[in-house]
Amino acid sequence: MMRTERIRLLAVGGGGAAFLIAAIIFLLAIGRPPLTTLGQMTLYAFGDGYSLSESLVKATPILLCALAVILPARLGLITVGGEGQLYIGALTGTAVVVTFPHGPLVLLLPAMLAAGAIGGGLWSGAAGLLRARCNVNETISTLLMNYVAVQLVNYVIYGAWKDPGSLGWPASIAFPPAATVPSLMGTRVHVGLIVGVIAAIVLHVGVTYTRWGIALKVLAGNRKVGAMAGFSFVRQTLLVMAIGGALAGFAGICETSAIQGRLQAGLSVGYGLTGFLVAWLSGQHFLRAVPIAILIGGLIAAGDALQLYSKIPSASATILQGLLFVAALGASGLAGRRIARHG
Amino acid sequence: MADDSLLIAGSWAAAMLRSSTPLMMVTLGETLTQRVGIVNLGIEGQMLCGACAGFAVAAQTGSPILGLAAGALAGVLLSLIHAGLCLGCAANQIGSGIAVWTLGLGLTSYFGRAAVGGQVSGLAPMAGPDAMSLPFMGPILTQLTPIAPFAIALVIIAGLWLARTRTGLNWRIVGESFETARALGLRPTIIQAQGILLGGLLSGFAGAILSVDYTQTWANEMTKGRGFVAVGLVIVARWNPFLVLPVVLLFGLSEAATLRLQATGLTLSPYLISCLPYVVCLCCVIVVSLREGRIGGMPAELASVFGSRR
Repeated sequence: MMRTERIRLLAVGGGGAAFLIAAIIFLLAIGRPPLTTLGQMTLYAFGDGYSLSESLVKATPILLCALAVILPARLGLITVGGEGQLYIGALTGTAVVVTFPHGPLVLLLPAMLAAGAIGGGLWSGAAGLLRARCNVNETISTLLMNYVAVQLVNYVIYGAWKDPGSLGWPASIAFPPAATVPSLMGTRVHVGLIVGVIAAIVLHVGVTYTRWGIALKVLAGNRKVGAMAGFSFVRQTLLVMAIGGALAGFAGICETSAIQGRLQAGLSVGYGLTGFLVAWLSGQHFLRAVPIAILIGGLIAAGDALQLYSKIPSASATILQGLLFVAALGASGLAGRRIARHG
Repeated sequence: MADDSLLIAGSWAAAMLRSSTPLMMVTLGETLTQRVGIVNLGIEGQMLCGACAGFAVAAQTGSPILGLAAGALAGVLLSLIHAGLCLGCAANQIGSGIAVWTLGLGLTSYFGRAAVGGQVSGLAPMAGPDAMSLPFMGPILTQLTPIAPFAIALVIIAGLWLARTRTGLNWRIVGESFETARALGLRPTIIQAQGILLGGLLSGFAGAILSVDYTQTWANEMTKGRGFVAVGLVIVARWNPFLVLPVVLLFGLSEAATLRLQATGLTLSPYLISCLPYVVCLCCVIVVSLREGRIGGMPAELASVFGSRR
């Protein structure tokens, strides 16, 4: 037991070190002083109140998308559909705003958020249904559906929902104040972050301490044993996929309403994919995903700041994410093999 | 009249072949990788790197052949990461594939900026304009470069190699049972590494065909999920290289058909039309997955990673 823990710790340290080395090599390769740049990035991510708030803004959709990956993973499902669910949530939530632009706040805001969550839930639930009923691999279906979701958003913003007053810019009408997700303490950080943290806690408690968690664990281990114990794989698949999709969809409508202010292209900069990374870095653990999402949010915010101030393209943040993912997978894979060999 | 319909059929065939050649190569690559029991979702990233590197080299040197070779090499280099993670570190294959994709996305959008707006001249068509008068073959010969027949030949050679040769048999054994392969004195890890790298070569080549030969441009994320479509089509083609050909061509036909439909005045939003490849691919996967038990074909080692997990 102690040995296992030690190997795990070693893996985290080794993965971190491998990532740092890879990051330094990358920065050297693009001709930047590595330590200075990494120091700058830390400052841009968490150096002052404004940087921190921008990091939290980025962390919000990432956290929600990570939860959308972790919950299905508890049933042994690997979904990469956060991006598509986010877009569909933005689409269905915006549908409410476009239909009732003058609705009162007490009705419009909740209806919009609910529509976003339901849209994401149905989109992801469809992949769950295909998995449970038709044996279609959920990784492939969610990956393909991502591209469809992005095009559907393009379809409406270049078409029926295009705001005639936007001078040709493909976007919906600006969201009225009654459809704007409230922000916190005068920053751009919005209520979505609180929802994400609460969802992480609720899901953690639900999966750790209830009969539902036992059902997921047993079904993930062996579906036949699960069926004998009276758990339904079909129902649980639909449930985890729908809840996950609802969270990602909620992220989408929050991002649209609070940050963008209107439905437009490029509403997500790969938040779904980043959420997938966070889920794996956390070891598919709801609570650990919260600080990791904030760290990665910081990385992305720092990437934006570097682009602005140091003219380093923000794609460097994507490369660093990829390097981090490779380092973490390698370290945890090696650790898993050592544990399996030596117990 | 008969001449006209032959001409139309020929130009349809040419359009279909032209648009589906990249997909054919990436699907073949993933098929071969999966036959040794490895799933590589990173082919999307490898294809992007192939497209980017191929375009950059072709623009710099002016030689499309060098560009295609550079693209294939870039695919191999990126697939080395997947091989290292899956085989060297025993990492999860799906996770590793997504990591490779992320890296490919980041690297190409970072280094691809230099290639934006570059000019490449693709390969010359197989025949000059005077061949246009030939029935049926006219449009094919004048519109297609030698890449299309080369790709078709590669698919057939790969299929024959896998089915008829000793090394092909070894690859299939590794995909069906790691333990049997080991008992037979094969080195399954080496063979799996070869499978991943060959997949990398073909996906990088596919990307380079897309940017150098087909579109002759470079744009960010220009592969638009073709790698993932290929992963779906591998399932539809039941992991059989020979079936890759009809599956990819039918897929290309459905794409060409919608483009033509639009040209005839049917007003459909281009954004809805661009959903089509993914929807068609997903529908095909659904249909074959429903018949999974009866048609089989999945390498047994894949089942633990991919199919009915546990």
